[in-house]
Amino acid sequence: MFKDLDPILHSQLRLSIVSILMSIHEANFNFIKDETKATSGNLSIQIKKLQDVGYIKVRKTFKNNYPNTSLSITKKGIEAFESYVNSLKNYINPK
Amino acid sequence: MGKTNFTPEESLLLILKTIEQTKNRFKESGHIFVYWGTLTLIVFGSQLILSLLELYKFTMWPVYLFPLSAFYMIYIWIREKKKNLPKTYIENVLGNLGWIFGMNLMIMGFFCSDKLGDAMAPVFIILFALFIVVCGLSIKFKPLIIGGILTNLIGLGSFFIERNYHGYSIMLMAVVGLIIPGILLNIARRKDHV
Repeated sequence: MFKDLDPILHSQLRLSIVSILMSIHEANFNFIKDETKATSGNLSIQIKKLQDVGYIKVRKTFKNNYPNTSLSITKKGIEAFESYVNSLKNYINPK
Repeated sequence: MGKTNFTPEESLLLILKTIEQTKNRFKESGHIFVYWGTLTLIVFGSQLILSLLELYKFTMWPVYLFPLSAFYMIYIWIREKKKNLPKTYIENVLGNLGWIFGMNLMIMGFFCSDKLGDAMAPVFIILFALFIVVCGLSIKFKPLIIGGILTNLIGLGSFFIERNYHGYSIMLMAVVGLIIPGILLNIARRKDHV
């Protein structure tokens, strides 16, 4: 009856990461860590999962000799997020 | 945080909360509007005073505060960039729009004033109005939209007044379109009502 919810997005931490990236042009790892209050290890794992399915783009650079990981959402990620939100709406208010 | 068995309602709530929380951290402040508005008021007010004192050869001097301020803005921009803070999409668009707008205004003011003639001040004011309205609509802040519309009217009205009085139009634009909406934006931000 309902469209299945995207299992990649239906996880609190991954959904938080994508939600943050939906409102920000680009964010670095520490910013996401502060916002989600997740541990570095867990965050890295979830970021990898989102990157593997092509929902987010990860850019690794060096800033003042320190590694800097920047994340941004991809077109595929935006589409998946929109579709996920629409599915949620259908679950909450089925026609 | 790794929980996957949450309900659709909880999920929507999480999305809303996260987006709202992130946006709150990046709410645009009105300082930039107050800054440029006050500067415009000082520059054109000084020109007016110098004209009244008949010190005509010095009337161009206050205008050089604009490029000096542009350099100050570049310094602030470099400092902010070094902090590596994330930017919202709106901040990004408005930032780039601001640079393009400011550079064009500067070039037009210093190199094309003879071509623009009497239309210079009205054209400048209308361009300012467009920028203010776009900013207001982007951040959904009514005083900026109203300020932009009033600025637009001041610009159009300036076509019908003598060039000698264009300084007053620009000063009025600075107060109505930049300083008042900027102060209101700062107050709203503090109250968290934007």
